[in-house]
Amino acid sequence: MTRRPRRRALPLEGVRVVDMTWVWAGPCACMFLAMLGAEVIKVESRDRLDFFRRYVIWPLADAAPTELSTDGSMMFLSANLNKLGVTLNLGRPEGKDLLKQLIAVSDVVVENMRPGAMARMGLGYEDLRRVNPAIIMLSSSARGGSGPESRYAGYAAVNHAIGGAAHITGYPDGPPGYALGDVDLMNATTSAFAIVAALRYRDLTGEGQFIDYSQSEGVTSLIGEVLLEYQMTGRIPGRKGNSDELMAPHSVYPCWGVDRWLAIAVETDDEFAALCGLMEMPELATDPRFATAAARKRNEAALDETIAGWTRQQDRDYVANRLCTAGVAAAPSRDAQDLFRDPHLRARDVFVEVEHPEGGSHDVVGLPWKMSDCEPAIRRAPRLGEHNDYVFRDVLGLEPAEIERLRREGVIE
Amino acid sequence: MAAEAFEGVKVVEFAGMVSGPYCGKLLADMGAHVVKVEEPPDGDPARKRGPFADDEPHPERSGLFLYLNTNKRSLALDAAQPGGREALARLIDWADVLIDNHAPVTLDALGLGWEMLHERNPGLFLTSITPYGRTGPRAACKGTDMTGYHAGGLGTLLPPRSTDVSRAPVKAGGYPTGYHAGLTAALATAAALFGRREGDGCLIDVSEQESILSLVRGFVAQTVHQRVTWSRVPDRPPAFGRMECSDGYVVSHLVEDHHWRGLVELMGNPDWASGDEWKDYAYRCGHLFEIGHKIDDWARRQKKEDFHHKGAARGFAVGSVYNAEEVLNYRQYRARDYFVEIEHPEAGTLRHAGWPYKMSASPPRIQRPAPLLGRHSVEILRDLLGYSDDDYRRLRRSGAVWKEGPS
Repeated sequence: MTRRPRRRALPLEGVRVVDMTWVWAGPCACMFLAMLGAEVIKVESRDRLDFFRRYVIWPLADAAPTELSTDGSMMFLSANLNKLGVTLNLGRPEGKDLLKQLIAVSDVVVENMRPGAMARMGLGYEDLRRVNPAIIMLSSSARGGSGPESRYAGYAAVNHAIGGAAHITGYPDGPPGYALGDVDLMNATTSAFAIVAALRYRDLTGEGQFIDYSQSEGVTSLIGEVLLEYQMTGRIPGRKGNSDELMAPHSVYPCWGVDRWLAIAVETDDEFAALCGLMEMPELATDPRFATAAARKRNEAALDETIAGWTRQQDRDYVANRLCTAGVAAAPSRDAQDLFRDPHLRARDVFVEVEHPEGGSHDVVGLPWKMSDCEPAIRRAPRLGEHNDYVFRDVLGLEPAEIERLRREGVIE
Repeated sequence: MAAEAFEGVKVVEFAGMVSGPYCGKLLADMGAHVVKVEEPPDGDPARKRGPFADDEPHPERSGLFLYLNTNKRSLALDAAQPGGREALARLIDWADVLIDNHAPVTLDALGLGWEMLHERNPGLFLTSITPYGRTGPRAACKGTDMTGYHAGGLGTLLPPRSTDVSRAPVKAGGYPTGYHAGLTAALATAAALFGRREGDGCLIDVSEQESILSLVRGFVAQTVHQRVTWSRVPDRPPAFGRMECSDGYVVSHLVEDHHWRGLVELMGNPDWASGDEWKDYAYRCGHLFEIGHKIDDWARRQKKEDFHHKGAARGFAVGSVYNAEEVLNYRQYRARDYFVEIEHPEAGTLRHAGWPYKMSASPPRIQRPAPLLGRHSVEILRDLLGYSDDDYRRLRRSGAVWKEGPS
């Protein structure tokens, strides 16, 4: 479970984050901060369990629904690594007081309730600033905390549609695609970036701040050129499948077997010649229909048909390796099992084995970057309320008898 | 003027297209001093890519370049020439961060590989973005936005609800891999800058494949450990996801029981959806396909904007599928001043996507549009690196340094 020992401090060591988020985008943002070294305390309530703690595995693998225990959901376990977990009843005044005490000794608060919900609980930015003037608070919502649609609900797929990305995703002759949790992870990365920027600003000036984060805007910020295309050409950009405006071949080709696909992209004439060599059709490289990038693009349909005729007879992974070795960009369209077994990802220690809260172990995807001499140890997600003692006793300094009373009275759940 | 979050941070961006430049933009928009090194005569390859006004290619009018390079300064430098290489080395000595999205051999060949740079400038962070990362059996393999997207495991999920497995999985539109890798790199770099101590620079190795894989981390864990198969083939009830309306599409996502009740109410409480069994999430998961076509029939009689607003009023998540024009006119974005208008000497005034984070104390902002190729060559060499006028002219004559316009 522990990686090779790191030699330098993690970048966010000494930063404490109160994580009041649930589901996916918010929890993953806080998880990135935790993996960067922050002490992240996830505040949960048994009354309002994180959706992924009461998740039913779907699509159903069994005839009868598999109800997961609160600590067994792989989605939850993937979004809450390296955190501490406490359970507080925020409906009780004493619960709110404890939360404020915790925020008073923290640097960052992150929440993703509907805009306004925290303020109604007396836990808005202005309230929290009173207990900690330098606090950084990020409120993440589907469409941001202001504007006529600020209270509209949204999940990843909806934010993706509103943000303009669904419209440009899919086959040219098909309906728009829609996203899954990937958009939440993207928004998690972006929110974590904004929080780190605010931390640096606080280092420079001593000032905290409020960050109003819109998840649909997060989607739109990643298609900046698409908005400019409409303004510059008057044309509404549509769906283009796997194609590229300049490169050909640039597509995903069928390989031997069922539903086995290989992405191939050729930029230069040399790369094209290498591809033709592997196809044992060297004459194609000098064929006037395909000899230059512009010609290949013009005759893309014929070229794609020729290449697909070849790939259909090829083993996907074997030919991917041959293409890569020959200097051509090629990649199998990998599913989860392909990724999990990929020797390259294994050699890079991308998957990390952690203890499972209910016994045994499971594998998770670690950080999406490697910082030299600075590999965090990855720890499993907390069980519900697992760190109540540590946080209330060691961080807030409550007496054991007091903690016991708060437990008995249902403040600490 | 208030300080900015990355004020005082000196960045050299030796990068083209999307990933490295987006990382540089995110830092530059919050106050970092970013010098973009471009190779003459063409500069960043993004300058050759559209969109262009009226589809006329022009290196200073690429929408892709204009969006990704705000707030930067451009130095046009041919590092293959000795004078150019020397200037690049001095520039990196000046920097806190070097963003590089070339294959590592490029800097190695200039004698500016990581070991050498770390020795010259021990405080330097080298943020390296490559298709598969710097180590492992595929370290030297080429990749593009599309191959990275499929290699990382997202292509296999698209298009969702695809009924025809004889058609290929697709990538998302635009440059998703480049943007995600840039975002990942920006987070790691910002954290490294926040946590830096004197002279403790490091190598930040960002793999485009792993940036995409990070987005599907939950699906991979479920597939491996819970026998769930995530794929583009239909595997979920039709009411979750895209629905066709009379004038376009909406996407909805019903999670909680009250979301379901909201949809049933909006449909006018039809008999076929009124049974108590439908109140149970697990039951809905297993049986919704039985009534999915009825929901779809109802949706096809709705207008998408009606559905969008009425669904919101009933508390469930549904939204119109907006195209670029609709996004630019979206009342919510306009009310929040999401777009930023940027004037550029060659491209005119355009509305750019802004930032999803509204920061009360240190908001990102535009101080300069994307640079003309080599626009800042003189000031960078003279003011940042201390070249004399004679030295500069020598470099200029040799062709190692370019500057836009007549010399």
